[in-house]
Amino acid sequence: MSEASEGHIFKATDGALSDLRLRAHAMGLLVAEQVETAVRALLESDLEAAQGVLVRERQVNAYQTEIEAESFRLLAQRAPVASDLRMVLAVSRAVTDLERAGDESKKIAQFALASAGHMTGGPSRVMHRSLRHMAELASEAMRVAVDALDRGDERVAHDVARLDRELDQEFESALRQLMTVAMERTRLLRPIFDTVFALKSLERIGDHAKNVAEHVVFLVSGADVRHAGRDLPARGSQH
Amino acid sequence: MQSGPSTPDNPPRPAPTHALDGRPVTPRPSIDVARSPANTEEALVVKSRAEGLSFYYGAVRALKDLNIEIREKRVTALIGPSGCGKTTFLRCFNRMHDLTPGTRYQGRIILFPDSIDLVDKAVDPIEVRMRIGMVFQKPNPFPKSIFENVAYGLRVRGLRSKARLEEEVERALRRAAIWEEVKDRLDNSGLSLSGGQQQRLCIARALATNPEILLFDEPTSALDPIATARIEELIAELRDQVTVIIVTHNMQQAARVSDYTAFMYLGELIEFDNTSKLFTNPSQKATEDYITGRYG
Repeated sequence: MSEASEGHIFKATDGALSDLRLRAHAMGLLVAEQVETAVRALLESDLEAAQGVLVRERQVNAYQTEIEAESFRLLAQRAPVASDLRMVLAVSRAVTDLERAGDESKKIAQFALASAGHMTGGPSRVMHRSLRHMAELASEAMRVAVDALDRGDERVAHDVARLDRELDQEFESALRQLMTVAMERTRLLRPIFDTVFALKSLERIGDHAKNVAEHVVFLVSGADVRHAGRDLPARGSQH
Repeated sequence: MQSGPSTPDNPPRPAPTHALDGRPVTPRPSIDVARSPANTEEALVVKSRAEGLSFYYGAVRALKDLNIEIREKRVTALIGPSGCGKTTFLRCFNRMHDLTPGTRYQGRIILFPDSIDLVDKAVDPIEVRMRIGMVFQKPNPFPKSIFENVAYGLRVRGLRSKARLEEEVERALRRAAIWEEVKDRLDNSGLSLSGGQQQRLCIARALATNPEILLFDEPTSALDPIATARIEELIAELRDQVTVIIVTHNMQQAARVSDYTAFMYLGELIEFDNTSKLFTNPSQKATEDYITGRYG
């Protein structure tokens, strides 16, 4: 594909498109922060941090509603084509994934609140390491994806696929470990279940980050790589 | 329109492997359109091909070495900024420039299946215009009755029988989707119709001689959105019967009605592709800048 020149003759179109992109970026940063805060709340039993995640979740949802309404207006009023059209579509698709990643953070925060209130006993101590590692991977994947979307950088998008792969592997190995613990210490079944759900949420966040990266590939090259297999294909191979 | 059971006046549409007159088209080159899923169901044939076409207004070279294949029974849109040569190119197809002194063609526009060169001086422009009809920006019916507007070309062709003329006029008016609106007032002046109706009358007039290619030069720029939609619908219906080339300044119109789009700039063909490809992911930066409104 070709890179478009900087500005539209009709300046308002520039404003509308860059506003959309800026808002998507702000939403992405917020979601990445939500992931990090939720996991910290869980690991450190930080009630306040967990509450903060729940409060900001409303902001994430508001971003989604706003950005989608703006995309809808843009399509109706400006009838974008080519790279402009791909931008609007990529952003509205990305927003759906960001909102779902936000939901997963909310689940983790709720779990943190419940365990801090001694309802579940918190995640098994032995699982802290896995949780922390997966949280790092998930938030990094989300940050890289959001950054790739902002810069329209297809190359960086490939890093997200790698991180998602690592997350999947980490999730598998954590599950195996938890299984062993569960068999040995049945009284920990409840916290183990809760930990599995938290890990699953992190694994899902990685999936959403990878989806965002796929939308970036579409934005840049017009190629739809969503069902092209586990890895994002090399640049240019989907034309 | 041609729909319902076939009659002698309303023959079934010939298979795409045959020209309008039933001649086989096997000698024509076929085109690989594998990129577009919408077009894979049939092998497309080339109706016309510009080969190294240049055009001069005096010393000014308005078209520069154009090479493009026009697919049969498909709609090809020509887009580009004012002065890029799209109308000049369109007018080459039916030799409209012959009327302007000091103009000169270079290269060829081959019309298949008979492989005649449309811009060859030895080819009679009147015959060319019978086979390649044109509809203009402003509706321009003759100051004659609706019937005579459509019958005109047929009479020039030597058709005299009143019954045959009536049949052919009705058929052309039906194909142009205006029969129902004018059938009770065929003797009224063509100029008594609304703008949109006048344009459809002009399309009927062009269709009467059964052209192989129909050229549209910004056919809706003077029409309101409803009349525009009617013309676009008509072009979509004609697509099965005749090869269409349309010049338009309206990007959305090109995107809506055409199968292929050619982007021209400064007399050159910059990009030619499936319309869906060109409007979603053009290959050339100049195309991208133009269709997204970034043209500097």
